[in-house]
Amino acid sequence: MSPISIGLWTMLRFSARKLLQNRRWIIVVLLTVLVAAVMGYSATQDGADIDGMSNLMDFLLIAFLLPVLALIYGASMIRNEIDDRSIVQVITSPLDRRIAYLGYYFALVIVLTVLLTLATIVGGLSYLAFSPDGSGGIEVMLVFIAVQFIGVLIYSALFLVMGAKLKQPIYLGLFYIFIWEGFLGSAPGAIGSYTIRHQLRVIASEFINYGDIAHVIGDGTTSLITLIVLAIVLTSLGAFLFRELEVA
Amino acid sequence: MTNVVEARNISKWYKEVIGLNNFSIEVPTGITGIVGPNGAGKSTFFKLLTGNIKTSVGELSVLGQKPWRNPSLLAHLGFCPDYDFLPPELDGREYLRFVGGLHGMEPGQMTTRVDEVLQIVNMAKDADRAMGGYSKGMRQRIKIAGSLLHNPQLLLLDEPLTGTDPVIRKEIIDLIKDLHKVHGHDIIVSSHVLHEIERMTHQVALIYKGRAVATGEISEIRQLMSDHPHNIVLEGKGMVELAKVLLTKPYTTSIELRPDRTGMFVKVDRPEDFFNAIPELVIETGCELDRMESLDDDLESVFRYLVRW
Repeated sequence: MSPISIGLWTMLRFSARKLLQNRRWIIVVLLTVLVAAVMGYSATQDGADIDGMSNLMDFLLIAFLLPVLALIYGASMIRNEIDDRSIVQVITSPLDRRIAYLGYYFALVIVLTVLLTLATIVGGLSYLAFSPDGSGGIEVMLVFIAVQFIGVLIYSALFLVMGAKLKQPIYLGLFYIFIWEGFLGSAPGAIGSYTIRHQLRVIASEFINYGDIAHVIGDGTTSLITLIVLAIVLTSLGAFLFRELEVA
Repeated sequence: MTNVVEARNISKWYKEVIGLNNFSIEVPTGITGIVGPNGAGKSTFFKLLTGNIKTSVGELSVLGQKPWRNPSLLAHLGFCPDYDFLPPELDGREYLRFVGGLHGMEPGQMTTRVDEVLQIVNMAKDADRAMGGYSKGMRQRIKIAGSLLHNPQLLLLDEPLTGTDPVIRKEIIDLIKDLHKVHGHDIIVSSHVLHEIERMTHQVALIYKGRAVATGEISEIRQLMSDHPHNIVLEGKGMVELAKVLLTKPYTTSIELRPDRTGMFVKVDRPEDFFNAIPELVIETGCELDRMESLDDDLESVFRYLVRW
């Protein structure tokens, strides 16, 4: 392995471990239990079907858990290391800072993917366990897992760059999630399409025949390309900003 | 003699706060001490050397290269900061493997080198314990181990003795001397205590308020300390007689007698001459001295004096 590959692998391994050892896992467990409880309870109500499961996953996972976990983990990842000064080891090593930034990014993507996949499985199985008709449920779960992975790529890129540049990234992150995506994103007209959530729903609509998400209008391929290009642009921007960052 | 660091008229300011101000220095090979009170600019200097921050103006060269945006230079530098940053959940060996990985060390090479370095800093016994349970001295040692793991030419040790007890302090001082003498590293080490630096090296630079106020052999610095004007308090009986004689001496600048005549402030421009003469003057005038104390016999006073100079 080249020194760069070793450096990148080291960054990825230690950053992922740090994220998983952080006490924020308590929040993740609580939120996952909440998702499972809501889905399990909903499945026991009259008329509960796979359409209902799809709608719940759309709301609880795509609109809420995915961006919130990405914000909690992503915005604080580099910022906390700057604040507690543990970043010194990274920025005084010969590993190019842009490569180190990629290490942070990949670690974040892996950890979020694992956590969200677990939450989706727990929530989905909870629904299916109590639902009278579970046909098509596994298919819905798999599509949501795949769509969430795409969501993780873009939200991680967005909140990581915020954390690298801003001293209080959490406020802008909250504004984005709850005001832009939650409020303005729900407004009728074109403005609603300028959100990550909408693009993810367009992609999901190509593969799901259940729930409201199946009726979202748009070209899934275009949305996928848009989100991936945006993730690449944001990650490149973050890597550049991280290289230029003065750590006093 | 070649220089490991050359800084010419560098300044660094953070908005309205000045970190370094028109700072120039040439650091030769060997061990060099950077001495200055807290807030003098020592840490800013180290951050510039490692490229963590960039100079606002001026030219800085470390091992012949510019440090800002130059990660390849960091393969030749080892930095041990003055603050605590060690992840408490990792053990010492894991931490060193993390550092080695960032330096691109192959696993086999890393295992050997980690063991070597742990021996050098005398931490082999405690390397597999979580660092959260380390004492201050152990934390300093493992930090130093991390800075020399990749066998850098130049080690930058920022206040490595801060917060350590006298026994640990002696051990770290001996370690630093060995790192140069036995292992061949050039070292820049900072402290706010001159005599601590004096035990490691005779080559020092004094920094005060962001400026290098004096550089050179420690004996020259000592001379500066003894040459700069002192304010001396004298208390006892017969102070009026003593004051009359002191006023005739060329080294006395001024005397201020206290109203009760049992004490006075003497300002002298050559304190060495004053202190040599005082026993004879006491006998000559028949006074009795209860207290004699220089108010300026400290490094801070020397810094203030040198800046005014």
